[in-house]
This record gives sequence, structure tokens and C-alpha cells, in this order.
Amino acid sequence: MLYFSLASKAYARNLQYRGAHMLHNVASALFGYLYACIWIGIGQDRPLGEYGVHGMIGYIAFTQASLWISGFTTNGLGIPQSVRTGQISLDLMRPVHLFVHLMCREWGQIAYQFVYKSVPIYLLYVLVFSLSLPQQVTTLLLALAGLAAAAYLSICMNYIIGATALWTTESSWLYWMNHALINLLAGFFIPVEWLPRWLQTVSWLSPYPYLLYVPTRIYLGFEDAYRLLGSLVWCVLMTLACLGVTAVVRRKVEVQGG
Amino acid sequence: MNIRYWLHLYFVLIRSSIRSGMQYKMNFLLGTFLAAGIQIAEFLMIAIVLNKFGAVKGWSLYEVGYLFAVMTLSKALYRSFANDVHHLENYLTSGDLDQLLTRPVPVLLALMSQNFRMMPGELLQGGFILTWALHGMMQAGQITWIAVPFTFLVILTGAVILFAIGLTTATAGFWLTRINELQTLTEDASQTAVRYPLVLYPVWLRSILLVVIPVGFVNYVPSLFILRGELGAWVLLGIVLVAAVCLFASMKLWTFGMSRYQSTGS
Repeated sequence: MLYFSLASKAYARNLQYRGAHMLHNVASALFGYLYACIWIGIGQDRPLGEYGVHGMIGYIAFTQASLWISGFTTNGLGIPQSVRTGQISLDLMRPVHLFVHLMCREWGQIAYQFVYKSVPIYLLYVLVFSLSLPQQVTTLLLALAGLAAAAYLSICMNYIIGATALWTTESSWLYWMNHALINLLAGFFIPVEWLPRWLQTVSWLSPYPYLLYVPTRIYLGFEDAYRLLGSLVWCVLMTLACLGVTAVVRRKVEVQGG
Repeated sequence: MNIRYWLHLYFVLIRSSIRSGMQYKMNFLLGTFLAAGIQIAEFLMIAIVLNKFGAVKGWSLYEVGYLFAVMTLSKALYRSFANDVHHLENYLTSGDLDQLLTRPVPVLLALMSQNFRMMPGELLQGGFILTWALHGMMQAGQITWIAVPFTFLVILTGAVILFAIGLTTATAGFWLTRINELQTLTEDASQTAVRYPLVLYPVWLRSILLVVIPVGFVNYVPSLFILRGELGAWVLLGIVLVAAVCLFASMKLWTFGMSRYQSTGS
């Protein structure tokens, strides 16, 4: 029950800013539109593999909308902020595990972003680009499962990024680096199979493809459910990493600020 | 108190800002290293696509690299010298602008000298892509050495245009208070758009990027002349004029906005 109220409070806090977020959605949708224009330009004189021009537009539309689920997670889950103010010492004293506490809060944030950002942006693209929706409900459900795993992976990655703030007090650079890697390795703009071979290897050795590429491919009907096994394995590995990091953090914490 | 006095004061303030930033050496080094990495990853994104599929609407990889690098360098100049113009919202919502008002210097000067950011990562990476693109095009005989001084001029005028756009957006904060969402449109999205040739976009979007938010004049319009010999040499003079007009208009608007400032915060 505690976990649910942590999530629902984070969701409710965001509701206050719905108006401003809708304006922000226009800007976010514009980014996807720019990338779609680039693919339309490239696809003018040549076929774009198994996707085709229209398929690539659908691909970009889905990754751009999904970015609000697996890309724009709170910077370091708010840990850098609480390190600077000294709040982190209180957070560690709570009778709830730090990772579980921050994770639940972030789930509320992501749920809000899904409803008020991903869905409206994607619907806008469906209208503007006349995209077709999946024919089968199972495809949609599998894609949603892929997105849920992506959201969880993103939470774990940001937890680890946030934890570095205990050593450096500042982790926003790592956050942006992670974002740049999402753009490049997660198949945000270029499907992973079109990366140079060495970069494909790097990509598949990391959890990045499971953030955007795999859910998108499943949604577009190019992949089966078995791809989700990879998501599951990474979720387990990242959970272990987060628990390990918390154990180290407990011994490292220094109270700053005041 | 003439312009030399103000410039001297500005550099003194910037020096102290750099000294305070350097107290956190680890952050500075990590920030530089990662900023360069971010730039490389962003350029790789388009470079890989162009490498695989060839030119896009007649624009080669070198030409797109040039557009990308000029935008990076102009932006780095603008954000180095006027970082907190971009972050005016923080001052407006917290009421910190009141503190700046009490100082015996113009508010804009005080704002510009706060949190001066050297951006070595962006400068290095932008410089590297620019050198690579110019070298490639010179080898192919597409341009001559004269493109180099022209490019420096364009980077400077570009920084002025970006500053003017940033200042105008910030000025809107005197009425709106919260400007982050607006900045995403007028600064982030538009700057991302013109990293790629404007011919990719439909006419309505192209017009917006040239007329409403004149960010197309930072790199695209001058590159038509410098790289492709289109339009004519008058373009360079035109760009200087556009930059001057944008700067003048944004300063006027800022002065007007300041007169409408109402303090907030607790």
C-alpha cells in the first residue's frame, strides 16, 4: 500500500502542470517530426530496407513517443538533489529500502508521462502521418510489456547514475551521456541493424536496445514474444546491480549542505 | 563609464566565475570529457545514416557535418558568454533577480557574468568536425581556403543571432514567469532542426525557421554561399545585418521587459 501511495503521489503532483506539459508535447512532437522528415528525405530515392518510408515514419513515431517512458526518467531519480541538500541521510534512515522507495516514486512519474505525453504525442503522429495501429491485441500487449520492462531498466540505470552523485555531487553529465547513448545505441533514430557492425555488437552487449528498439520492433510486428526474454534477463541483472550499489552507498554517505 | 569600462568589468566578473567553478575540478574534467562524448554520439547518429545511404537531398556528409559543426560552435559561444540568460527562469521563480537589481551594473551584464561556462568539450568536438568537413571539401575541390575566414565570421554572427533569440525568449519570462517549455521550441527544437539542411522540411517549417525564429541564418543560409556558391557574396553582408537587427531588437525588448518586471518568490 505504501508503495502504491508513493507512486500515486508522484502522479498527482504532475497533474498540476498538465497545461504546461501539453505545450511541451508540441515541442516534443516537433522533434519526432524533424527526424521523420530526415527519413522521408533519405527514402526519396532509395528503399529503406524492410521498413519502407512509411514504416520508418511509424518507427520514429513510436520511438519518439516511447522516449517519455524509457528516456526521460528523472535525472538520477532525484538522488543528486538530495545529496546536495543532505536529504539523502534521512532517505537512507527510512524503514523502506532506498531503491524501492525511489523506484515507486518514479513509477508514478512514468505512469503520468505515459498518459499525458506518450499517448497524446503518438495519437498526434497517427493523425498527421496516417499511421495504422496493430491489428492484433496480443501485439499491443507484448509491446506494452516491452515498454514496462524498458521503464524499469531506465529506472535502474538512473538509480545507478544518481548514486554516483555521492562521490561527485553532480551526475547530470552522466545523465546526458546516458541520453546520448540512448539516441545512438537504443535504436532511437537508426534501427540497430543499420549501425556499423562493431557498434551493433556494443549495442547488443548493453541493455540499450531493450529501451526502445525491442518494444518498437514488437509493436511494428517484426519481432516475436521471445525477444522479451532479453528484457527480463536485463531487468534481473540491473536489479542486482542496484541492490549492490545501495549496499556501497550506505557506507559512503557524507552529509553536505545545510 | 564607457564601453571599455563595461567590457573590463565583464571579464573581471567572468574570471571570478571561472575561479569559483574550478573549485570543483573533478566535475569540470568529467563534464568536459562527457560533453565531447555527447557531441560525438549526436553527430554519429546522422553520420552513420549518411554513410549508409549517401547524400540526403543533394547534401553530402561533409556538408551536413559543416552545418552541424557551425551550429555547435555558435551555440557554445553563446552559451559560454551568456549562460544564465538561458536560465533566467530560475531567477524569476526564486526572486533572485532582485539581488541582481541592487548591483551597480546593468542587469543583463550581471546575468551574463553569472556561472560562466567554458565549454571545451563542445569547442573541441565542433572544431574537430568542422576541420574534418572543411578538409574533405577542400580535397574534393568544392571550396578553397577563403571558406575558413568566412566560416569564422559565420560562427560569430551565428552566436549573436542565437543570443538574440535566447534573450527574446528570456524576456518573455517577464510576462510568463515560466519559460522552459517555450525555450524547448525556440531554442532546443529549432537548433536541432537546422543541424540538417532546411530542404528536408516542408515550406511552412522552413519559413518558421527563417522568419519567426531566424535560426536558419546561423548556418544554413551562409553555407549556401560558402559551400555551394549559390546566392552570392552579398549573403555574408546580409547575415551580419540580420545579426545586428536581431541583437538590436532583442535588446530593446529586454529593456522594455525589465520595466515590466514584478518580483516573485518567497
